[in-house]
Amino acid sequence: MADKNVQRLPAEELYQTELDALISAETEPIPTGWRMSPRSVLTYLTGNTKVKGVDITPKYMGSKRLVEIAIATLVTDRALLLIGEPGTAKSWLSEHLAAAVNGDSTKVVQGTAGTTEEQIRYSWNYAMLIAKGPCPEAMVKSPVYRAMETGSIARVEEISRCASEVQDALISILSEKRLSVPELGLEVPAAKGFSVIATANTRDKGVNDMSAALKRRFNIVVLPTPSDMETEMDIVRTRVAQLSSGLDLNARQPGEDTVEKVVTIFRELRAGATLDGKQKLKTTSGVLSTAEAISLLANSMALAGSFGDGRISDSDLAAALQGAVVKDEEHDKVTWKEYLENVMKKRGHEWLPLYRACRELNG
Amino acid sequence: MSGPALFGVRHLSPAAAYHLRRALDEAKPELVLVEGPSDLNGQMEWLCHPDTRFPAAILAYTKEPPVRTVLWPFAVYSPETQAILWAHEHGVECRFMDLPSSVFLGFREAESVGAGVLTGLSEPENSPAAGADEDIGPYTAESIYRRLETLTGEDHDTFWERTFEQLEGEDFQAVNNTFGRQLRAASLESGRDLAETVVREAYMKRVMAQAVASGVPAEKIFCVCGSFHVAGLEENRPMTDEEEKALPKADCCATLMPYSYYRLSSRSGYGAGNKAPAYFELLWDALNRGGVGEGAYLYLTRLAAAHRKAGNLVSSAEVIEAVRLADTLAAMRGSKYPTLSDLRDASVTTMGHGSFSELAVAAADTEIGKKIGFLPEGVARTSVQEDFYRQLKELRLEKYRTAELQRLDLDLREKLNVKSQQAALGDLRRSFFLHRLRVLGVQFANLLPSRQDGANWGEYWELRWTTEAEIEIVESALMGDTVEGAAAFALKERADNSSSIAQAAAIFQDAFLCGMPGAAAHALSVLQGLSVDSAAISEVAETASRLSLVVRYGDLRRFDPAPVVPLIKQLYLRSCLTLESACVCDSKAASAVTQAMDRINTLQLNHEFLEEDRWLKLLTSISDRDDLNTHCSGFAMAILLERGKADEELLSREVARRLSPGVPADLGAGWFEGLAGKNRYALIARLSLWRQLDQYLSGLDDETFRRALVFLRRAFADFSPSEKNDIAENLGEIWGVNARQAAEILMNDVTEAEQAVLDSLDEFDFDDI
Repeated sequence: MADKNVQRLPAEELYQTELDALISAETEPIPTGWRMSPRSVLTYLTGNTKVKGVDITPKYMGSKRLVEIAIATLVTDRALLLIGEPGTAKSWLSEHLAAAVNGDSTKVVQGTAGTTEEQIRYSWNYAMLIAKGPCPEAMVKSPVYRAMETGSIARVEEISRCASEVQDALISILSEKRLSVPELGLEVPAAKGFSVIATANTRDKGVNDMSAALKRRFNIVVLPTPSDMETEMDIVRTRVAQLSSGLDLNARQPGEDTVEKVVTIFRELRAGATLDGKQKLKTTSGVLSTAEAISLLANSMALAGSFGDGRISDSDLAAALQGAVVKDEEHDKVTWKEYLENVMKKRGHEWLPLYRACRELNG
Repeated sequence: MSGPALFGVRHLSPAAAYHLRRALDEAKPELVLVEGPSDLNGQMEWLCHPDTRFPAAILAYTKEPPVRTVLWPFAVYSPETQAILWAHEHGVECRFMDLPSSVFLGFREAESVGAGVLTGLSEPENSPAAGADEDIGPYTAESIYRRLETLTGEDHDTFWERTFEQLEGEDFQAVNNTFGRQLRAASLESGRDLAETVVREAYMKRVMAQAVASGVPAEKIFCVCGSFHVAGLEENRPMTDEEEKALPKADCCATLMPYSYYRLSSRSGYGAGNKAPAYFELLWDALNRGGVGEGAYLYLTRLAAAHRKAGNLVSSAEVIEAVRLADTLAAMRGSKYPTLSDLRDASVTTMGHGSFSELAVAAADTEIGKKIGFLPEGVARTSVQEDFYRQLKELRLEKYRTAELQRLDLDLREKLNVKSQQAALGDLRRSFFLHRLRVLGVQFANLLPSRQDGANWGEYWELRWTTEAEIEIVESALMGDTVEGAAAFALKERADNSSSIAQAAAIFQDAFLCGMPGAAAHALSVLQGLSVDSAAISEVAETASRLSLVVRYGDLRRFDPAPVVPLIKQLYLRSCLTLESACVCDSKAASAVTQAMDRINTLQLNHEFLEEDRWLKLLTSISDRDDLNTHCSGFAMAILLERGKADEELLSREVARRLSPGVPADLGAGWFEGLAGKNRYALIARLSLWRQLDQYLSGLDDETFRRALVFLRRAFADFSPSEKNDIAENLGEIWGVNARQAAEILMNDVTEAEQAVLDSLDEFDFDDI
């Protein structure tokens, strides 16, 4: 069983019982290199059913159709690119897809400005290289290399943060499905089942725009922000519960109305209008994503658990909101103050304590 | 089987149409009965005409207002269409068997009157032949489809497409009849009212019985009906003669009209099967070519072509990927071939880079399409169509009835060098005609803004013919038998619904442009009624000046202005009575008041029948009073000056009074601003005025000067350079400097130092200025 002292377990270990149940209940044909049928992968991701007595929790709570498209893409051995605003569960979905398909979501290349081509292809253990010369043992295989060998899924996170030459290294891999190692006179063909799931952030657009050649090799799925209030509240509630049990926070779960308030504030500031659409609002410079709302609530729970009575008080919430909303001191502060005065203050007595607490922080 | 063969269909379903033809080939019936209005069998002949291009629709409408309509659309892939065409090709008799259109309309009428003859009626736009299962009314249908949707996790269209459009080899008739039966059982379970459906089925049964009685063997009769009705037709008994007599009937007419895919997709009132007419036609083509599986290739290649045509790059590789992805998506849902939603999602993912908006244009083109039906010449036309074509010929506008955009310039003046009076006023009559079409909302002629300055006998139009326009003309048949009659009805309706005098005045003007004195009179009476209730001065003034235009130029359009005159008098009087109190306002509202004042002034000048005395007295009073908005007072003074009713002495006295040191600077300067609002040359010419202004300004202390400056700057802002130059000359004279030097200072751009001083004014507290 998984080690309880690990801060964050990979998806396949965290949800091992669910995956095992699905695999043992499998009735449909399984694509080569996969552990279960596409339909079971879909069940794993969308959840809300019982398989062999095991509750399958929902992993992705947005449009089921998008998940279907993502899975179908992997079935056709095309690479999948998930695009979306920060915090729209791109990496989350990518991790769970890999976990369900291969039982291994750890072949990850994190795209950064410092990512080099070697991290996509392979590099060398220099000590051994000098001692023995180029030989298979001296080679350090990249996650993509390993995925090609085993016929599984490699994940590339934040692909648009990589320099273009690094992105280009993927092109030949994705079109030829081979990787050549000239030093060893080797041509590694990708085993059946190999694919790549990449994620890219719309906020990074223009940082290192993907070339048309690379884009063409991906099927692109755009993940939207949650379409309605209920979905978003659902997501926040579920994820906060999962997070807090993992983090051993000594606080009670946030109440329904707390979640509702946070989600309302986030949705309104994100959309630049009140929920009823009657009032226009300024938007903030940062992204108020669902993920941000989740961490905000977990944060408040930590505050309440460690320094309070274990219940999220309005002042905890106000402090957390302040931190989440006001990212850019000048602009966001004005936005937030306007929101407090024009919207929150007029919301009636339920909102009043929160308003007062927020007001206090803003003088 | 002993009774007539029943073939349950979903209307507008290509698969149903395809299998229906096979079934007909096999059954070789002697009589084909199709669900459709049984009194309109005559229209079938035109549907089968070789020149007819689908989509077309049968439109029935009541003769008396309020007009009600009922519509039966026919696309090439409608099973009904194919049944009719099959019968025509094989020389077999074919008839409609549903309730007559008059009864459908009768039901609607009864419903609207609240007689409660039937309670389960569908929405008026829910055309009966439209959807097989849909025409049982929105209530039942809705709930069952919702249930189906939650069960399958897909919308009903997709469910239908996946389950029925892709049937191959199986007995479509049996499968679909079963589906209809079960759907019906499920809706009956929910205890909903199916009154209209039952009545219709009884009638259909009656038609069948009549056919049998006339000697056609029952097994040689083939009925095409919505699959929902199959069970009803099997079980219910035919309608008796008494029952038939008791049906409500409306007096109505019917016509065949060209229809468009756009309308089929958006306006048919229910959501089944025709959200994507072009796609369904494509499926129909695919079925006749090589099987329903072809549809995916056709759709994706057409979409790619349309997307390329819109200026985007689509590689064949992307299309191939889209096909593969769509197939996989279909497989995940357990169907053999992709449905429209699979195809669309796949193409968004591959060709559209994840966002539908990129593909939206191409998708609309491929799914809905621009196809418009066509009917051969001589098809029974509505009387308004006939009238339209007759007038088109008479006015020699026929050459403009093309798809090409053409311009038409009209000269409304009477031509004196021609013989007949008809020809002399030819352009005027064309103008009337085009304006009437415009009022009816027929998109044939588009009025361009006038290019004339100071005259208005020219009118400029842009004409282009589309089939949409034909449809709009047919629709206006609901309002009258002729173009003029329909326009009159439309104007009357608009006038009755108008709620402000500005609206009513606009309608009056339309009626005037259409050359319809009757409608104009009606609009006028509405206008009069509305004007009794209080209205803002600016609205009254604007309306009055609109009417004034008619009186002054009505002659050009042969319009007798006599009925308008009393109303103008009334409005004039009203504005005279309310103007003075309207002048008590803040500076924001003042400009609207002065604008109204100007309008009334022009009005009075233009019409001798409006008492001048009253107006002058009013102006003098406004000009003299100190408690009104000074801007308004100033403007009143300006009008008096312009009309020569204020002499030099009065002006100088007023200036001295208004611009005396004791008066707050904003009031004084505001007055001056009003004064400068009109007739500037008269002001510029009066040297004494400038001398007084100069004296006044030099007498102010710094603080008050800064306040005054703001207003004066605003007052002078819209003076033209030459006017400023003239003022400079005046000032030069007063200060004893060379006029040119003064001008130089005034006309130069602001220097930095001056700008700094002006900027410092920005921090000036203007209170509520």
